[in-house]
Amino acid sequence: MAGQSDSTMSLFSSEEIEFMAEDEMTEIVPNLRMDSLNFICGDYGPFLPQLAAQVPLWLALALKKRGKCTIRLPQWMSVENLTRVLEAERDSHAFQPLPFHYIEISRLLFDHAREDIPDMYMVRSLVEDIRDVRFHKVETNLEKFTASTVTWKNMSAMEVNVIRAFAGRALQAFYKHDNEQQTQDTDRALDKQPQIPTDRPKRNLKPR
Amino acid sequence: MANYYDIDGILMEEEFVPVVFQKAINGVNIDESTEKGCVEQGSKTELPFWLAHELHMRQAVSISVPTCFNQKTRLEIQADAACVDLRSRCPYFYEFGCKLAPLCDKSIGLLLSYAFQIRYKEVLHKAHTTAFAAASKFLMLLTKEETYLYEAAQSSMLAFKKWRMGGPRLQRASILGRKRKPAE
Repeated sequence: MAGQSDSTMSLFSSEEIEFMAEDEMTEIVPNLRMDSLNFICGDYGPFLPQLAAQVPLWLALALKKRGKCTIRLPQWMSVENLTRVLEAERDSHAFQPLPFHYIEISRLLFDHAREDIPDMYMVRSLVEDIRDVRFHKVETNLEKFTASTVTWKNMSAMEVNVIRAFAGRALQAFYKHDNEQQTQDTDRALDKQPQIPTDRPKRNLKPR
Repeated sequence: MANYYDIDGILMEEEFVPVVFQKAINGVNIDESTEKGCVEQGSKTELPFWLAHELHMRQAVSISVPTCFNQKTRLEIQADAACVDLRSRCPYFYEFGCKLAPLCDKSIGLLLSYAFQIRYKEVLHKAHTTAFAAASKFLMLLTKEETYLYEAAQSSMLAFKKWRMGGPRLQRASILGRKRKPAE
């Protein structure tokens, strides 16, 4: 699976993540009449002009490149929604819920379907801003973590992938040092045991 | 070390540790100037870790704390762990410390985890923000493990930036560029 990436710890390259993002469903409005397409991943269509259909992003892009459809902008990519997300993102420490592949999807749409996006420049700069704010948040979060459990909700695929190698190594190191200490603590506890008087009075259990 | 052939594991065991012999040993010379041909009980020397460890298991030597974990270094780490030049002291500071801690001084473990926690933050900041040229001075202070961390962060960030900028989607297979060998 991860043959492309050189380092053993970063499992996926950005291109591989993009490839996975292409399986997300998008809505298209075809301008051709076509029977349904039967693929291993599912059946799509039939396609009728001006009737919206749900297809994976890769198929949408393939049709788009041939001029056979227009892509409907996903709901979350509207200017209002992005503005709202950006504000919430700036206000709180938590990550706002966005599609798992939002970076990749938005980039693919900016590259291939720019005429289908109203306010293209606005949308693009909003997405970039959101991404920057979130990356900064990731960094401040990374600063805080130790070997204890780490739970960050709503991180996206690309954000995880960028820090995967670093965070993996760091967690391993933290874990190693923590373990080291714990074994020492247990050693110390074992050392101490003989000193504890064996005829210690047993604690009386309270009757229920 | 997980992997027997791990080069860092092998290099790490080459680090010298000061030892004190608990037994007299015949037929070895640790010091060229003495011509006795034996080691007396209580003599001190430095041995690479792999040898010291084996001898320690046979109770022939006792291991004392090497210079990279001495009191001076500890004080420096307590003062400001991020600025201590650990690379010149011991490039395998953490791994070496982990191996050494059960043999001579168990408080090394605490020191290691304290140092790592502080220095980790520094690495994190530098790795994601600073340009490579500006960071080279900082890189001189890092141990091997920290350098790996730094490089991991840098390379994944670079890969992401490269992807975002786009560029040629299709790569030319390396075999296509080659000239065909003249048929003879």
